[in-house]
Amino acid sequence: MATRLQFENSCEIGVFSKLSNAYCLVAIGGSESFYSTFEAELADVIPVVKTSIGGTRIIGRLCAGNKNGLLLPHTTTDQELQHLRNSLPDQVVVQRIEEKLSALGNCIACNDHVALTHPDLVRETEEMVADVLGVEVFRNTIATNALVGSFCALSNRGGLVHPHTSVEDLDELSTLLQVPLVAGTVNRGSEVIGAGMTVNDWTAFCGSDTTATEVSVIESVFKLREAQPSAIVDEMRKSLIDSYV
Amino acid sequence: MPRRPMRHRGLVISRPLTFSQFARQSAARVASVYTAKRQMHTAEVLQKSPPNSAGNKSVKNKLKAKKEQSESSSSEEEFDGNVQVDFAFFDPKADDFHGVKTLLQTYLDDKEWDLSGFVDLILEQTTVGSIVKIEDDEDNGIFALVTALNLGRYKDQKCMTEIREFLLKVSQEDVIDDLRSLLGKEAHSVGLLVSQRVTNLPPQLLPPLYDGLFNEVSWATEDEPTEELKNSFRFKFYIIVTKFYKLKTAGQKRKHSVNEEAIIYLKPEDEIFHKLSSWSFEFSLNSPQIAPHELRNYQQTGLVMSVKADKISTFQQQLQSLIEEP
Repeated sequence: MATRLQFENSCEIGVFSKLSNAYCLVAIGGSESFYSTFEAELADVIPVVKTSIGGTRIIGRLCAGNKNGLLLPHTTTDQELQHLRNSLPDQVVVQRIEEKLSALGNCIACNDHVALTHPDLVRETEEMVADVLGVEVFRNTIATNALVGSFCALSNRGGLVHPHTSVEDLDELSTLLQVPLVAGTVNRGSEVIGAGMTVNDWTAFCGSDTTATEVSVIESVFKLREAQPSAIVDEMRKSLIDSYV
Repeated sequence: MPRRPMRHRGLVISRPLTFSQFARQSAARVASVYTAKRQMHTAEVLQKSPPNSAGNKSVKNKLKAKKEQSESSSSEEEFDGNVQVDFAFFDPKADDFHGVKTLLQTYLDDKEWDLSGFVDLILEQTTVGSIVKIEDDEDNGIFALVTALNLGRYKDQKCMTEIREFLLKVSQEDVIDDLRSLLGKEAHSVGLLVSQRVTNLPPQLLPPLYDGLFNEVSWATEDEPTEELKNSFRFKFYIIVTKFYKLKTAGQKRKHSVNEEAIIYLKPEDEIFHKLSSWSFEFSLNSPQIAPHELRNYQQTGLVMSVKADKISTFQQQLQSLIEEP
């Protein structure tokens, strides 16, 4: 199910939150309703953690993560790093990396198996992404845009990419990522998909400007209608149990 | 009546001075426009500059002086900082949604309200209202917006109700009755004058922009299809919601700051409106402020004022002379 919400009059949900199958990060500030919408959807299943990164609220664009790990930019403070390490499940590796392109959320799009990165990312960063997130890394562009994290939203079930992506690019990316892809928009025609929404295997959150057509495209490409969180989380249950004792 | 877009030249600096969040956001949106235009216009600038250079020299010098204070970006260092740009005024249309929404993000400070509905309202009213864009621009960046919305005509819309609530909440004791009557029984003759733009828009555009708006209002009183709609543009009052910078240390004796003004207006026409207003009040802003270094002693404050419609021609004359002075 896709939920529509706003962060302080802004519809850019993917900027102020980061969702994966094992945790959800939410920016501090904004009204309580932003946080409580996430809590209402996710609280029984995965932890919802309020945080800032480098003192800013644009956490979704600064960090990249999946169920295996979370990568943070060098601007993250020690307190924020410690807070995240404490709040997230133990098997999620939280790592701060030195990378000139510090908006990791804009440069890396990933699910639990594969990641697309900005073509100019340094070798060491690429290796960190492969190690920490446990994924296969591909350097690529989307619709000739290097900021792959901004222009696509990816989950293990499907992906939504920039509307001007050509059919050949769609096929190529789909083969690389091994998930069905659709070119579309979010938030009433905004092309910046990664900033406009956030998604995991059973739920998605998008801005309140998103039209009904866009929501139905999102629900169909990410297969959210039949999704049951319990089925997915049960697979991870054994490793999650440790953190809830 | 169909209106041809009016063209106005302006010299625009590549790196905008941004004072506020909304300007920063809109500057980010148009940053791509500047780099694209640079390639297209540098060839034209060389041919165009001789006839314009005399008239625009003073503007160019002012812009050059400001250039030192703006952020540097390594990709633009070889660029001298001036771009020849043709601005055009267009009627509002549905495609402009995102640009207009960005300009209006902080209209009601940090209140969560139906901003999208408000933007839709503005864009549906094609007879009165102008949007300033660059001629033939692929990116469709919005630089400025001006419109007048009749409070009575739209009073049942959710966004209008929220605006009324907000204004009544932040108003002061002495003007609340005036405000209440304007929002209540007089609403059908009150226009909400909405004017937002990127901070560094060349001021030469302002007189034609406002002249255009007030002309449209008077044309609408004749051209609208129904009597009701014609009457809805016979405004007697305008309400304006805007912001300005006020000196923070108002209580202390200002021995050193003889040259510091108590109030700095973000938009030059606000000063004229404020002088001509029947009443006005200030309200403090909750949203986070990022003030540039020169304005570190100033606090950004909201301002609401009401101007009688018969003062408008005075306003237009004063605006013209304010902009024209060297």
